[in-house]
Amino acid sequence: MNAPEITQQLVLEALRRVLDPELGCNIVDLGLIYSVEINGPDIGVLMTLTTPGCPMHESISDGARNALLSLEGVRSASVEVVWDPPWHPSMMTERGREMTGVA
Amino acid sequence: MEASLPISPALSRAPSRPAAAPQLTAASAASVKLPLAFMVSGLAAMLFACVWLVVRPDLLATYHYNQYVIAAAHLFVLGWLCSVVMGAMYQLVPVALETKVHSQTLARVQFACHLVGFIGMVWMFDRWNMKQVGHFGSLMFLGVCLFVYNLARTLLRVPRWTVTASGVTASLTWLLLTVTAGLCLATAKCSYEAADSVSSVTWLGALLHGLRSLGSLMTHFDAISAMHAHAHLGVLGFFTILIVGVSYKLVPMFTLSEVQCRRRAGLSLFLLNLGVAGAFTSILLRSQWKLGFTLLIIVALALYGWELTAILRARKRRILDWGVKMFLTAVCLLGVESVLALVLSWPRLPLNGFTGQLENLYGFLGLLGVVSLAVIGMLYKIIPFLVWFGTYSAKVGLAQVPSLAELYSARLQKAGFWLYLGGLAATSGGILAAHELLVRFGVLLLCFSLAILVLNIGFMLRHFFRPQLKPLPARAVTVPNPI
Repeated sequence: MNAPEITQQLVLEALRRVLDPELGCNIVDLGLIYSVEINGPDIGVLMTLTTPGCPMHESISDGARNALLSLEGVRSASVEVVWDPPWHPSMMTERGREMTGVA
Repeated sequence: MEASLPISPALSRAPSRPAAAPQLTAASAASVKLPLAFMVSGLAAMLFACVWLVVRPDLLATYHYNQYVIAAAHLFVLGWLCSVVMGAMYQLVPVALETKVHSQTLARVQFACHLVGFIGMVWMFDRWNMKQVGHFGSLMFLGVCLFVYNLARTLLRVPRWTVTASGVTASLTWLLLTVTAGLCLATAKCSYEAADSVSSVTWLGALLHGLRSLGSLMTHFDAISAMHAHAHLGVLGFFTILIVGVSYKLVPMFTLSEVQCRRRAGLSLFLLNLGVAGAFTSILLRSQWKLGFTLLIIVALALYGWELTAILRARKRRILDWGVKMFLTAVCLLGVESVLALVLSWPRLPLNGFTGQLENLYGFLGLLGVVSLAVIGMLYKIIPFLVWFGTYSAKVGLAQVPSLAELYSARLQKAGFWLYLGGLAATSGGILAAHELLVRFGVLLLCFSLAILVLNIGFMLRHFFRPQLKPLPARAVTVPNPI
């Protein structure tokens, strides 16, 4: 049986399973994912965190990579955390705002 | 075929390589166990101290210095506050300043020195054996030196110097001076007969002769004034400056905001440090300048309040959790403390029984109001994080993990908060009225509140033994994607 084609939709669905435990919201709806690059079975994600020095940094970035590696057909996954541009609540989805009570 | 994520195969798959931009996190801080060991010791000391006050409400309802008051004060300060704050600093300083702890081994040795030191000191204060207080105090001093050295080396690694780094540095300096001042006070209460029989050429003789000279020097200062100066150095210099400095990082972090005016934040810390130095000197020398330095500290705290209000107004997270609310309540109590400080610094204040009760209230609200409530508020942020990090961090993305707020009961936390406030109010009333029964009732409320805190911490720690992992849903709800 062939592995399903890896699409951006599929990648984002996997990343939605990664929660920011302080805010209680997944990293996609928080607006932390800046870009997704799919090269066949290799996935690269560029993301940020709500604040530099976030104590959850390692947990969240490793969690994102774990979620990507859990996808069928994925050979390697890299997650790069950047601070530029800095995160802002305007990057959140409507669902993210509802989940976190952010203005 | 749909992408499905069954929990078992997912959990067994190891990550292929580390994250692209590793940053300093809780893993860089002291191990989870060490801060927790400090905190559990602190909570045990706090419960013991409160039960002590239930049994002996006269310690607060009457004004006189005796060995029991001093023992209880040191149990609160060293056993409860220092234990929790030191454990928290091993965790928070690396996180807040984006660096890592210099040495975990030193931290463990310091924990042993601290534990034996404070227990011995409290016990010996209670028995009024000042020589042994000095011995246990020296052990405590050694622990504090290790703590300060470890965190100073940690601070040297800070990539960007911030107002928080300045606050932590200043507070560590004041801590070292406070413990030094405490040891100097102890030397004045000891006699050194053995010094006569030992030559000052030997190291032991030199030590004994040196201590005797120091003790003799200390007798030039009024004993009560020296004790007050020592207490202010610790509570204002170490705890308050630490609270102010660290909150400039943590409050924005927890409320999704940022410091609004760095100059104002820096100025508040600078004036506070200046005020602490001046207050210590003027209290020690019984100088009329005490009022001036009190006013300076109040100005510094007003600037802090102004900046904190601006940070909160600019916050993106509308709803404040109860941990943050507790912390902010503690900050508000700084206002009450400021009024009391102003009254007690007044040059022509009559020295009567009511003034004594006001001093008791000032000390009680400073330790159990401002500092303890701020610490409890932060405990509700730190302990869930430590437990979550130790239990769930490696499972993120592989299984459904709980959020921090799901590790404990927010309803119990809220009940504990109101009980604590009720306890503070009743005890304060009892102190002012010199009413032992009211003090006992108030401290009982504090005990109930602490029991709730312990219960909630039990809920948190339970996750170490019974993790609440759930399989990931087969497919997330389809919603529009943001990128």
